[in-house]
Amino acid sequence: MREDWRRGRVRRGLAALRLAARGGARYATNAPRLFATAGEQRQRLRNDLALRTAEDVAATLGTMKGVLMKIGQMASYVDDGLAPPVRRTLGRLQDSVPPMSSELAAGVVTEELGAPPEEVFATWDPEPIAAASIGQVHRAITMDGQAVAVKVQYPGIAQMIAADLGNVGLMRSLLRVAAPSQDVNALIEELRQRIGEELDYLREADSQRMFAAYFDGHPTITVPKIVDELSTARVITSELATGARFAELADWPQEEKDLAAETMYRFTFRSLYEMHAFNGDPHPGNYLFQPGGRVTFLDFGLVKLFTPEELKPLVHMVRYLCVDNDPEAFRRAMEEADFLTPGAPLPTEQVVEHMALFYDTVRTPGPRTMTPGYASAVARRYFDFRNPLAPYARIPRSYVILQRINLGMFALLGDLSATGDWRAIAEEIWPFVQAPPSTPMGAAEVAWRSRRPEPVPVS
Amino acid sequence: MTAEVYPAAGLVERAAAAFAASVPEHPADDGYFGAASVTWRLNGDLSAPLAGLRSLLVQALHPLAMAGVDQHSDWRADPAGRLASTSAYLVTITYGDRAGADRAAARVRKIHERVRGTDPLTGKPYEAGDPDLLLWVHAGLVDSVLACADLFGTPVGAAGKDQYVAEMTAAAELVGVPAGRAPASAAELDGYLEAVRPELALSPAAAESTSYLLALPALADELGDIWRVLGDAAVASLPGWAKDLYGIRDAREVDRTEVRQVLGVLDALYLGEPGVLEARQRIELRMRAQARG
Repeated sequence: MREDWRRGRVRRGLAALRLAARGGARYATNAPRLFATAGEQRQRLRNDLALRTAEDVAATLGTMKGVLMKIGQMASYVDDGLAPPVRRTLGRLQDSVPPMSSELAAGVVTEELGAPPEEVFATWDPEPIAAASIGQVHRAITMDGQAVAVKVQYPGIAQMIAADLGNVGLMRSLLRVAAPSQDVNALIEELRQRIGEELDYLREADSQRMFAAYFDGHPTITVPKIVDELSTARVITSELATGARFAELADWPQEEKDLAAETMYRFTFRSLYEMHAFNGDPHPGNYLFQPGGRVTFLDFGLVKLFTPEELKPLVHMVRYLCVDNDPEAFRRAMEEADFLTPGAPLPTEQVVEHMALFYDTVRTPGPRTMTPGYASAVARRYFDFRNPLAPYARIPRSYVILQRINLGMFALLGDLSATGDWRAIAEEIWPFVQAPPSTPMGAAEVAWRSRRPEPVPVS
Repeated sequence: MTAEVYPAAGLVERAAAAFAASVPEHPADDGYFGAASVTWRLNGDLSAPLAGLRSLLVQALHPLAMAGVDQHSDWRADPAGRLASTSAYLVTITYGDRAGADRAAARVRKIHERVRGTDPLTGKPYEAGDPDLLLWVHAGLVDSVLACADLFGTPVGAAGKDQYVAEMTAAAELVGVPAGRAPASAAELDGYLEAVRPELALSPAAAESTSYLLALPALADELGDIWRVLGDAAVASLPGWAKDLYGIRDAREVDRTEVRQVLGVLDALYLGEPGVLEARQRIELRMRAQARG
């Protein structure tokens, strides 16, 4: 028994040494900035205010506060998703959540992994390095010497949030005040889905495994691998990634921003058209950047898988509108997907005019610069139920998540003022075009692509 | 949105600003209660806004106290302002240092000097500085804080209740209740509330003021829903004798979880106001430092 324990200690020591040999010193100084930049999430890493008990967690995130925080997070992707004072309030709320104390976080790890973190890991850093939306991230080194990020969920949060989301009447009242021009039912549905899935770490780990496997070997896309034996319903352990935060990109040269944007764009649409999967969490904190357009994608808490039948009308829509230039066929595809009531008394050009905004970046070839204004306009139109199409239009449940292409990725690309020939890149990816590489990054993808299985055709 | 049309506009904002400004950054001492007190915990409990509302409903049942408010206060023209100043006072005497609490109390006593008149219902003269009336108002608050924490907040247990009632005698003395007169235990508080009952009645001014308060015309429809839940909760939390005086036979059922959710929303709105988070942190850090010894 005692001998085992000593061996464990020696192994831990060796693992720590190995990490140091791999540039641990540089890592140590940079580590606190890996996920959180100065000024960002300040409160959430204030250890002097750390939550020490499950009751502290309930007082901070229970009684609707966790739910309101999520609304704030959703709203923070766009300029005008919510009324400005509400947005400010919710933004502050997000910043007001302190981390768990080391003891509380260790308690969750103990319950989930069967032993205290100091025994499960060779090295465990009791200070969190980042706040996740319903948990926090700790650095650790596994017994095998691998540097990992361990995401630990706040205790009791799943039950609290489920109870609060159950009060639909109050949710409605809140959202009517917060977002008077928006479809409250769609927002509630969105929130429920979003939060429910985010609480389920098992599902999240599965999704991350799938993305990691698909993009394995990609020249610019990195998805940290999950450490299976150290991941449970409330703890996810994955490879530790390094890189700059989204906010830090502001100081990078525009070419670098454009490359980062291209990677994000390729990631989104390759996932959608080839994996039939969409990672719906566009929070800026979920990306880490390195020069040359290399991007690490974190947090797969909200991934939607599409069936080929679900994807087919979407593929048809983009094809008929942007490639075949056939408005009537476009309209039929919309009807087929249940986006539009068949036979609605609207001229087809009005339908096209309304919908064209969503396809603005890919309708014509040539370089285009994304702007924050474009992202906001798309988001506004998406939720605007007073437009002429509204009586006949709906967003079928399975497509609701796709709005985050607009609310999320386009908002981030807009922030970067990213320029690219999005049409040309889209043609590389569109299954009905499959154009040759249009950029150096596209060319660099060729080797990776040749090792991928043929995507399942959708049309 | 003018104050005339929406007199309660800015309710949260003004109460929050008063709170943020009343928690000192560099207190000279621990004040009259201290970071280890039950008072610090309860006066900052999630249920505190509800306790405030219930206090008003209880306090209005003394015709002389009600007459003083009715004849001397313009609270109806500016309920948000009145609420903010009351809340600022309570925050200052709770979390402020002794000098700050003394100054705030002196201001209140000075205002009370001018509040005197005759109650139209009983024909009795009244003055706000009357220790009996001050005691009534004090007891209404203390009882409400305990009742609301029990029902909707974090209950403090029997010993905690006794301690709270005892600690709060300091607050009574600050406004001018002679030392030794304020109840010093939960049992004494109940005894006082029992003994004072013959003096209580629902005056027309009280009936009218409280129904106005429970249906503030100020609030947008959607916030109205939230306010209604709080109003129902405050009414449901009243003691039987107060319900009798109000003629409430079947108070609407309230659901503890829902009330707490509404209080949570209110708390979140409050936290979103400038300075509130920081003020809360000042309080929390002092409580933690105290607990560490």
